[in-house]
Amino acid sequence: MLGIDDPQIWVVYILCVVSAIGCMIYGALNWNKGNEEEDVK
Amino acid sequence: MVLNTPLLGITVLIYLMTIFYLGWLGYKKTKAIDDYMVAGRNIHPYILALSYGATFISTSAIIGFGGAAGALGMGLLWLALMNIVVGIFIAFVIFGSRTRKMGKNLDAVTFPELLGRRFDSRFIQGFSGILIGIFMPLYTGIVLIGGARFVETTLGVDYNVALMMLTIIVAAYVITGGLIAVMYTDALQGTLMLVGMSFLLIFTYIKLGGIVEAHHALTEISYLVPESLAKGGHMGWTAMPAFGSPIWWNLISTLVLGVGIGVLAQPQLVVRFMTAKDDRALNRAVFVGGPFILLMTGVAFTVGALSNAYFFKEKGMISLAVAGGNTDLIIPEFINSAMPEMFVVLFMLVLLAAAMSTLSSQYHTMGTAIGHDFYRQYLKKGNISHTVDITKIGIALTILVSVVLAYILPISIIAPATAIFFGLCAAAFLPMYIGALFWKRMTKEGAIASMLVGTFSSLFWLAFVHAKEAASLGISQAIFGKDTLLTGTWTVIDPIMVATPVAIITGIAVSLFTRPMGREHLEKCFKNMK
Repeated sequence: MLGIDDPQIWVVYILCVVSAIGCMIYGALNWNKGNEEEDVK
Repeated sequence: MVLNTPLLGITVLIYLMTIFYLGWLGYKKTKAIDDYMVAGRNIHPYILALSYGATFISTSAIIGFGGAAGALGMGLLWLALMNIVVGIFIAFVIFGSRTRKMGKNLDAVTFPELLGRRFDSRFIQGFSGILIGIFMPLYTGIVLIGGARFVETTLGVDYNVALMMLTIIVAAYVITGGLIAVMYTDALQGTLMLVGMSFLLIFTYIKLGGIVEAHHALTEISYLVPESLAKGGHMGWTAMPAFGSPIWWNLISTLVLGVGIGVLAQPQLVVRFMTAKDDRALNRAVFVGGPFILLMTGVAFTVGALSNAYFFKEKGMISLAVAGGNTDLIIPEFINSAMPEMFVVLFMLVLLAAAMSTLSSQYHTMGTAIGHDFYRQYLKKGNISHTVDITKIGIALTILVSVVLAYILPISIIAPATAIFFGLCAAAFLPMYIGALFWKRMTKEGAIASMLVGTFSSLFWLAFVHAKEAASLGISQAIFGKDTLLTGTWTVIDPIMVATPVAIITGIAVSLFTRPMGREHLEKCFKNMK
């Protein structure tokens, strides 16, 4: 996979990219959440 | 690699002028103590994310660890994964949100103050402050030496002049502009790092004919691993070291766990959560932070490993041989020979930015730890005003100390400083910090016991067992006549795997045997928290 034989390496290579994209998805989904909640209460 | 071209000179000049402008902006915006200490608790999410990332990633993360990947291979990507998942996602989403709310509830402006007020103990604040004040200058010393050596070689400036220049420039904007100046300049430096590392990745893959081709070329040359490394368990640059071998233990325990988890309790990073206005800012920062770290450590480790394929193709040698056995030279050698000159200039700036962004935050954190936490709150019991002035004096003093240390201490003591500081934070602060945020039953006594046991067990492990630091420090040798008290696998196991669990158990046990903290106090701490 990806020119790498050892699964422990290509898995982590993919996981790094996926986790960074995951951060972006989380950020995008929660873009407007958690806005000034203290003032509301 | 002296690169004394007019182009570089002009670029550095423009860079410094922008830094001064941002520093001045910070100075102008600083009106109250909250501005100076926690950037008015109202920082922009983009600045927050880049400032956190740029502080997190120093020059050594790129050059040092990138070079380590050049020697050890892509197994280091597990650390990059930890950096993203733990250092960004868990840090911001799980720790960040609660830290921000509790910081606001307790009106805390530093990490020691947050812990001290949560457990209603001035001792915790003072002890944490002094711990940071003693050990952080050592850690700063190594960043400072690295930065100055780098300016010396690239700009051809005398080492002493470079050291002074770097100190004075960074000190000027940290002391006058406080955390706002630190974070604004961090954001600029982070942006530069982002651009530089993206180019580095793209150029490297292009040079080697594409992603799969590059990795394939690297897999093909695994027979070139030097015999000494192969004996330690090295199985090629695109393979993990043999399970249980010394290199495997070193990789997993020190790099992945030590640096990967240790990051959660770094005072200079924790304080940034308190600069966010609301959870929305933290969520948005995750959007930027994840890809930022991927492009820093992920790229450095991949490119470091791939440099072997490049050097083999061009010179028929592996990176370690090209760098004369010094892993710190692998990345610079690779950039110099593989990248276009324009890029070399940009990359010089990236490295300067990486050093300055880490330095500025260290100065701010250790200065506030001594000036605010230890002197004002602990010694003077909070009974003096002019806090910003005291903090400024604290910063100036600790800067002076770290410069003096950088001069007088032998490199054998300065070199392990990063590991010592990370180990200490993970053992002394992390258990108590987790308890502070998530476990209402943790008591003041439990927190103090965990902090003291964590501090001393981690220092003991570093000085007497963990071979890398113990041999370098020479304390064990002086007292017992041998480098380490234990032998075998113990000597490669990082303190975080020993001292931190011991501190956690102590914290839990002592808390369960002591009286819970008052309900009113807890309600105040956990106001608006689920």
